[in-house]
Amino acid sequence: MNIQDNYIKNKKNIFFSENKDIQTHREKLINIFDNDRLDKKNNESLKNINLKNFIDFKYKYLISEETSVINNNQENSYSIVSVNGQCSSFKDDKIEITKILDEDYNDFSKNDTIENDDHFVNLNSLFLNSGFKIVIKKNNNIKIKISNIITDDDLTIFQKNNYICEEGSSLNLIEEYENKNNSTSNILNVIKLEKDSQLNHFLIQDNSPNHNLIITSHSSCKKDSTYTQKVYNFSEGYVRNFHYSELLEANSEADLQGIFFLKDNNLSNNKTFVKHLAEDCKSNQVYKGILNDSSKATYFSNTHVDQVAQKTEGYQLSKGILLSDNSSYFSKPELKIYADDVKCSHGSTIGPIDENAIFYLRSRGMSKTAATKILISSFINEELNSIDNEQMSEIIQKKLVRYLSKVK
Amino acid sequence: MNSETLNTLNSYSKNKYKYGFVTEIDDEKPRKGLNEDTIKFISQKKNEPQWMLDWRLKAYSKWKKMKEPKWANLSFPEIDYQDIYYYSAPKGFEKKPKDLSEVDPKLIETYNKLGIPLEEQKVLAGVAVDVVFDSVSVATTYKGELEKLGIIFCSIGEAIQKHPDLIKKYLGSVIPPGDHSFSALNSAVFTDGSFVYIPEGVKCPMELSTYFRINAENTGQFERTLIIADKGSYVSYLEGCTAPKRDDNQLHAANVELIALEDAEIKYSTVQNWYPGDEDGKGGIYNFVTKRGLCAGKNSKISWTQVETGSAITWKYPSCILKGDNSIGEFYSVAITNNFQQADTGTKMTHIGKNTKSKIISKGISLGKSQNTYRGEVSFLRKANKARNYTQCDSLLVGNQCGAHTVPYIDSKNNTAVIEHEASTSKINEDQLYYCRQRGLSHEEAVSLIVNGFCKQVLQELPMEFAVEAQKLVSISLEGSVG
Repeated sequence: MNIQDNYIKNKKNIFFSENKDIQTHREKLINIFDNDRLDKKNNESLKNINLKNFIDFKYKYLISEETSVINNNQENSYSIVSVNGQCSSFKDDKIEITKILDEDYNDFSKNDTIENDDHFVNLNSLFLNSGFKIVIKKNNNIKIKISNIITDDDLTIFQKNNYICEEGSSLNLIEEYENKNNSTSNILNVIKLEKDSQLNHFLIQDNSPNHNLIITSHSSCKKDSTYTQKVYNFSEGYVRNFHYSELLEANSEADLQGIFFLKDNNLSNNKTFVKHLAEDCKSNQVYKGILNDSSKATYFSNTHVDQVAQKTEGYQLSKGILLSDNSSYFSKPELKIYADDVKCSHGSTIGPIDENAIFYLRSRGMSKTAATKILISSFINEELNSIDNEQMSEIIQKKLVRYLSKVK
Repeated sequence: MNSETLNTLNSYSKNKYKYGFVTEIDDEKPRKGLNEDTIKFISQKKNEPQWMLDWRLKAYSKWKKMKEPKWANLSFPEIDYQDIYYYSAPKGFEKKPKDLSEVDPKLIETYNKLGIPLEEQKVLAGVAVDVVFDSVSVATTYKGELEKLGIIFCSIGEAIQKHPDLIKKYLGSVIPPGDHSFSALNSAVFTDGSFVYIPEGVKCPMELSTYFRINAENTGQFERTLIIADKGSYVSYLEGCTAPKRDDNQLHAANVELIALEDAEIKYSTVQNWYPGDEDGKGGIYNFVTKRGLCAGKNSKISWTQVETGSAITWKYPSCILKGDNSIGEFYSVAITNNFQQADTGTKMTHIGKNTKSKIISKGISLGKSQNTYRGEVSFLRKANKARNYTQCDSLLVGNQCGAHTVPYIDSKNNTAVIEHEASTSKINEDQLYYCRQRGLSHEEAVSLIVNGFCKQVLQELPMEFAVEAQKLVSISLEGSVG
């Protein structure tokens, strides 16, 4: 079914389809897809992907009978179970959870950091059918854990979440995506950090082979705020991690990190984009990947430094290990710099596991498999050690062991 | 081309009978615009055989269906292909300065700084020289020596007449005419260029350069160069010249193909310093060049070295296809942009064979309001076992209105291949500047010294005589923009 038919047919359960402004915006988006001009060849967001599978899809969404649960078990600590992208409302003196509103949609549709030809974001804007908004109130220090659950097979979830950290607040956010059914989740996180706020964002992705997860985030940082994101991708299905960050005011910081572990025929597309729009800002983009069997991965990173953004420090690093003959890795670390007093660098390496290191370990009596496993663990050791949450660290170690058990 | 020139040219063509040079010049009259007749005219002018004309026409029909590549980080007005002369005007038609006193004094000043001999200055500035001057005789002596070794070094037009077998076999084998729109355009309308063939086992004893070739100064705007190094041979080729060339052409779309067979080595050096446009960004040359080398045989090597300081727009990616096992590709580049210049340059290394190695060193310096982009692709195909790449690209920014960009594409499909890429961007180190100033250098001298040091890794790859001039050129390019 083509996009337009799909949209018209399911209009009634798509958010904001009565709003005129949004309606006009969506018509424009439909036009993009409708045109034969759809340039697939030079569109980096589509590399290795068969877009047809995502355009000609069967729309299915239901609001589950199971309701979402919000627990405030400890002081300042909340755990949320979101079902099919929905979350019930909640309010206390520290946080507020509501459904997303038209204004959140309109506000975002004017954003120009995400390219017009990012078709997955366009699809999300078109078919939006779930999502919530979390506000962390001034000067609070909060921990939130969100488990995303999908109840049925073949669901197409188009979710948009808004996170707002008010002045002086601090949020520790853990998001879990562990789904075993054949669904597609297209999630857009819009994150706003006010003055002096801080957000540590962890994303643990571990889906079954038939679950597609497309996750895009857009964070914007005001003065003295810090956004840290860590993505751990153990999924066996397709995962797309595209993360955009804007440093709007002086002395803000963005740190985007990711590790992905791929095997079989799996594909993972990754992108990080940091836009420096003010002076004295720092950014860091580090992605590491391990590719086994016939897996494929792409990583695009982009540091954009505006003319006013003097004294910028921007670093990028991408590392890939290919374990098998059939795996492939594509990386494009891009720098676009318009200011002169900056320190920016990037590094990128792709290769096998160091033979000398294997030789060293084998000469000390280890089997080749054991040596390989040790070297893979050491490759990502730095990232694992930097996790200060013990519970998180344990979860990730377990998943790592599971991945390594398949390595020969 | 501005409207005034157009009007003048129109009036020339309208009034051709009045001046009475119909009979002699009728055929010589350059025709504007691109169509099959233009191509037939060029082919006929060059006295080409039918197969060559067919080849050109085939490329033209491909070009008609193609669009210009748009991915480069460049902005320029659309090129009107019908507003260009595809066969350079014969002498006497174009106004040429009679002697050096008529040439722009700024140009002369630069020549003197570079230490270029007076006779060469005249050629470069386009003065009509009637006297047989030194380099022609030099050229003939060299030609004799090269012939003894069996080396063929002539214009591509001559090679089409005399060595059709080689041309048929190799022309378009590395850059197919249908590769992209500029290569198709060049294939359809190329007028001049060099042809080099080094026979088996011969090490060319001297650096070959367009300088030595007669008529070098008339190298057309659509240049086509083909260099073939047979088994076990070696050649070093120098292209262009270090001095700014007086040139009225707006569009240059050259194609350069290199083929290295087993154990052969080709070293190709370029110093490009065409007219970059004035301080306000008016005028200047659009330089769209396709350069590609094929390491066809085992143990072959191709090395590109380029110093790019001129042209309003540079669109240039000298590439290597490493097909033979153990072959090596190298790319060394310095690109300096000033005022409103835009450069989008880099390389493409495609590793196909086993144990292939490539090395990329790129230095970009942006000043004024210019934009400088490094764009490079390194790809390891499935069978490129144990392939190795090292890439380093550094950018230096002088002033806060320019931009420096790095866009590397890295693709690995082989798990034994190793690829390393690093890049950095920064401004000139204040401490270094302070140190130099303290020792009595002016601000400008200090910057020039530091920039030269920044580029040293690349400049030292240039052949001796080129390196000295290139160093001076770097200093000249920085002038007026520092402090």
